[in-house]
This record gives sequence, C-alpha cells and structure tokens, in this order.
Amino acid sequence: MQHVGKTYGTITGESVEALRDVSFDLDEGEVLGIVGPSGCGKSTLLRLMTGLEPPTTGKIERVESTGKFRVGFIFQDSSLARWRTVLENVRLPLEVLGIKDETNIKKVIELVGLSGFEKAYPSELSGGMQRRVAIARALVHQPTVLLMDEPFSGVDEITKEVLQTDLNYLIRTLAVTGVLVTHDIDEAVYLSDQVLLMSARPGTIVQKVNVALPKIRGPHVRTEPDFVNCTAQIREKLLLILPKTSLKRENTS
Amino acid sequence: MRLPATSRYATAIRENLPVIGTLIIVVVLWQFLTQSGVIPQYLLPSPSSIVLTYFTSKVDWAGQTLVTLREILVGFALGTILGIALAFLVAESKILSKIMMPYIVMTQVLPLVAIAPIIYITFGFNDTSRIILVILISFFPVVIGTETGLIDVDKNLVYLLRTLGAGEFKVFYKIRLPNSLPHMFNGLRISMTGATIGAIVAEFVSSNAGLGYLITTSLTTYEIRTSFVAVFILAALGLVLYGAVTILSRLLMPWFKGN
Repeated sequence: MQHVGKTYGTITGESVEALRDVSFDLDEGEVLGIVGPSGCGKSTLLRLMTGLEPPTTGKIERVESTGKFRVGFIFQDSSLARWRTVLENVRLPLEVLGIKDETNIKKVIELVGLSGFEKAYPSELSGGMQRRVAIARALVHQPTVLLMDEPFSGVDEITKEVLQTDLNYLIRTLAVTGVLVTHDIDEAVYLSDQVLLMSARPGTIVQKVNVALPKIRGPHVRTEPDFVNCTAQIREKLLLILPKTSLKRENTS
Repeated sequence: MRLPATSRYATAIRENLPVIGTLIIVVVLWQFLTQSGVIPQYLLPSPSSIVLTYFTSKVDWAGQTLVTLREILVGFALGTILGIALAFLVAESKILSKIMMPYIVMTQVLPLVAIAPIIYITFGFNDTSRIILVILISFFPVVIGTETGLIDVDKNLVYLLRTLGAGEFKVFYKIRLPNSLPHMFNGLRISMTGATIGAIVAEFVSSNAGLGYLITTSLTTYEIRTSFVAVFILAALGLVLYGAVTILSRLLMPWFKGN
C-alpha cells in the first residue's frame, strides 16, 4: 500500500475522508494486525485490499508469484448460508471459482476441528463452531491473502481465546499471508507479526509495532512478558490518541 | 436414530390425538343437538344426514370436485408464476416498483365479486374467466413473499461472492434464490388458501359446475344437506392442498425450522 487514501460521498452531499496516506508492505507468510478505535477506517482499509473498490488516492500493488491473486474473507459475523450444510458452505468458494477438485474441503474442515459435522446445518451449530466454518470457507481455495474483519467479535472471552489459539496454529501451519482487523489489542498482538495502530477521522497509521514472538504461539504466550510489553506499548499510544474522557472526575494521574 | 415404524405411527397418532379428539367431540355434540331438535335440521343438518346425502345423492361428487380442483390448481400455478415474475421486477427496479405497486394493491382491495362480472363479460362466461379470477387473488401473496425474500439477503454473502469474481447471475443463483425460498413459501401457503376461496367465489358469481356451483344451486332449492356435503368436501380439499404446499416446502428446504 502506497499513500492510500479513501474518500466517500455521503447522502447529504458531504465527503468523508475515511483514510489518509496509509502506507505499508505485507510480505508473503506475514500476518498484519490493524487495531484502532471504531470509525478509524480499518474495515475500509481491509475492503480496499479485496480489489473490488479502488482507493481515491495512492496505489495498491498486489503481487502474486504463482497463478491468480485470490482473497479469503472472514466477516464480523460468520455469514454462513443457512440453506447449505457445513460441507456445502465450505465448498462455496470452489464452486464460484470453478474448481472441481474437492480434496481441500475435507482437509480444511478437519483442520478447524469440525470433522463429523459436514452434514450439519449452521442452525445446528454453536456460535464458535459457525466461526470455524467461516474460517474453513475462507481458506479452502488457498487464497493469496486471508482478510479477517473482526472475526471473533461478539464471541465470549474463553471461546475467543481458544479460537485465536487454533487460528494462529492454522495460519502458521499453512503459511498463510493474512490481514487482521480488530479492536482487541491482545488479539492483534497474538495473531500478528506486525501491528498497525490507526487513529480515527481521518484514518491514518500512528504506530507500527513489531511482534517479536515465535510464529506458533500457544495459549501461555498471553501471559509472557514479551507479549504483555507489546500490548502495553500499543495501549500507551492508544491512550494518547483517544479523545479525553468527558466525565468529570478528580485529578487522579 | 430413527424409531421403528410401529413406534413412529404411534407417535403420529399420539401427536394428532388432540385434533382428532376435538373433531370427534364436535361431531358427537352436533349429532346430538340436531337429532334431538335443539337445533332444527332445516338450519343445520345432522352429520348422519349429511353422510347419508353423500351416498344416496345423484350428484357426481368426484366430478364436481375435479372441476373446482382444476380451477384452483391452474389458477394457483399461473398466479405463482406471475407473482414471482412481478417480485423480480419490483425487487430489481425502484422505478418499476413505484409504478406497479399501486395497481397491484388495487387489484387486492377491490372485492372479487365486484371484479368478477367485468372479467366474465370481457373473457366470456367460461372456465378461462374463473381461472383468471383465481390468478388475481393468488398472485399477490407470492409477490410480497418473494420480494421480501429477494431483498432480505445477507450482504456479506453477496460481497464474498463478488471478491471471488462472481457475476450477478452467480450471485442470484447461489445466494438470492435459495435465500428467498422460505419467504416465498410463506407467500405460497397464503396464496393456496386464497386460490381455493377464489375458485368458489368465481363459481358463485357464474358457473355451471363445481363445488361452488353446487353450494349456490342447492341453497336456492333449499337442499341444505347437499350444500353441506359440498362445503365439507371443500374444507377437506383446502386442507389437503395447504398440506401439499407445506410438504413441498419441507422437501425443498430441509434446513428450515419453520412451520
């Protein structure tokens, strides 16, 4: 991404600058985390990467060494097709792309831990299981880049950490290149190699943090000093860019 | 794990017991009230006399039923096709929606008995007119149901397909169409009952055969029992048709935990 900006026109005729001068590189096999408060344009940034909409300014370069550039997308809610079974949901990208080879389907369902549930409908699964189907669906066609838009938002803390651990293992084992958008700082640090902190209105990058942790991170990493320091770094910067609280209180700091 | 066959029948009977039980109680009560004269039989015939009329009357019940059934089914089928087509147009184009909806709604608020004479005069006093009247009453729920289903689509799924390079047709075929089925079937269920009523009303206004014809002619000649037999056949027919739509919906939508 080189000096990317995105401006929208609203219904009232005004223009809203969602993103301004965003630049970064994403290397193969790297996972980039993007955190920021609501409205900082991180979802907009993610969607620019799909190529469906062009940026208003700047350039986005997609380099694919073998074959076509493809994205996998995980949404904020699982967005599974209710009328399709787990297997059929995971198969959907292959159908759209015209890929007849179905060996990946069973394999990726197994990797997310849902073997045996191929014939179940989404309504028969728990929320966590539905998220796993969404992950499988995003990976079945071996995308060039995996784009994740707050993939675990709304999930309870305990299930979330299990899902994060599994996703980290999955991404690293498959050497997936990924971009994760989240407002959960711990999640960003846990899953990424590099974390970008964005500020809102207009969305710009205010900090880039390198996560110097081993690629595959077990659950215990969350309490290790390196991890905590990293999240602390981001939190401090976040406090600086957030608007001051509007509540009246005694001077405590 | 499926239960053994005998146990499934037993469960089916047990589940329907309230319905069957209520029916038996009502029939017994009715028989008692009419037989004893509490309710005079020229107003409300007893169940036994109705059954007797069915077996002894010279009326070709099966033939007359088939006449009405044909009007219902053909009208319903064509009304469904019309309804789906209109729903597509209305869902696709806001302009078409604005232009067409007022007229569509107008066809529904005017009573069928008022429209019927106009149809008969225009198209003739024949089956075609009756089928047109059935179409008129049955297409509207299908329009509403299908249109709701087409609009109420998960935007993320559409976006997902677009990121994979899918064109409008693929998005329609893989997402919009299956997504609209539950809503469409809601419309179909209402439409089916409407089609049944529509056929009878059309026959009331003008006909020379059918269950509606039997009801009106037997009432004018005070053969109350004949009209009651026709009404009962009609009720049973309506239930069967409605049940058929429901069964079809379960077959086409195994995932749907609805009705």
